[in-house]
Amino acid sequence: MNTKFFSATRLVCAALFFFLLAGASAHAADKPLKLEAQLILCSNDAPTNGRPVTPEIEKKLKRLPLKWQHYSVVSAQTFSVAKDESKPLVLGKSELAVKNLGGERVEVTLVGHGKITQSLRKGQMLVTNSNDDACLIVVRQLD
Amino acid sequence: MNLEQQLKLQAFLDGELPEREAREILSWTQRDGVAAALLAELKNTRQAMAKSEPHLSLPEAREFFWSKIEREIQRREPVAAIAPEVTLFTALRRWLLPAVAVSALVIAGMIAHFNVPKTAGATVADADTPTVETTLANSDATTYRDASEGTTLVWFSVAADDSSVPSKTPAAIN
Repeated sequence: MNTKFFSATRLVCAALFFFLLAGASAHAADKPLKLEAQLILCSNDAPTNGRPVTPEIEKKLKRLPLKWQHYSVVSAQTFSVAKDESKPLVLGKSELAVKNLGGERVEVTLVGHGKITQSLRKGQMLVTNSNDDACLIVVRQLD
Repeated sequence: MNLEQQLKLQAFLDGELPEREAREILSWTQRDGVAAALLAELKNTRQAMAKSEPHLSLPEAREFFWSKIEREIQRREPVAAIAPEVTLFTALRRWLLPAVAVSALVIAGMIAHFNVPKTAGATVADADTPTVETTLANSDATTYRDASEGTTLVWFSVAADDSSVPSKTPAAIN
């Protein structure tokens, strides 16, 4: 009986495919993260000056249990941070550092307050308080 | 003339009939013109076939001729039964390729295992759950997670300051 369930050539091709896929996945997990940190001013009155936040950020903020209704951007910083590296930032009166832990996870250290470690994939957003009055800090991954 | 009479004529021509019956057929053909014509036609056909039939003659005795054929058959049969010769390269390839494939799969699995971040083993929900450490002993952090929007709110507060700056505390997390 000379039945072949699968040929050796096909097996090798499948192995190479998975090998390359694993390599590509590993590479994707280690690539630098392109992030944006925004200092956002919050109020219950419609802002007269300042750039309003994007509709996407506004929608996310309005779903949070915050007492404010209006949000505008005071300052924003876009930066790229490689795996296992940290990027220090100053936003208003707040100092923070964003570290890329790999695998789309970050460690955000808010000087004087504490440290937050969590995943920050595209579409996700991390919100924390600022040293400025009625302000908060938003960190997200850029597309 | 029926079929039986025609067959009798054929048998007569082939000399297969007993003598008495043969005499009856002979007299019948002398009396009956149709029977005589059929007999003549059968004779002609037989002669024509006899002339056209090839006369093959063997150069040697019949037994010797068939024994040669038998020996030739016996000579060829063992050759067909022998398996084709497997070269060293073919044998190596037969086992080496699957071995390489399995090795590659193992290596790929190991690479994937050691390169994937530590959190990949956990569920997505676990990976999205923030870990918060506060710097000051008297400080606290309130965490709120909106899973559908992928938003995490971490609000740090200092116990001594809570009364002085209540406005910073999110209204819904009181």
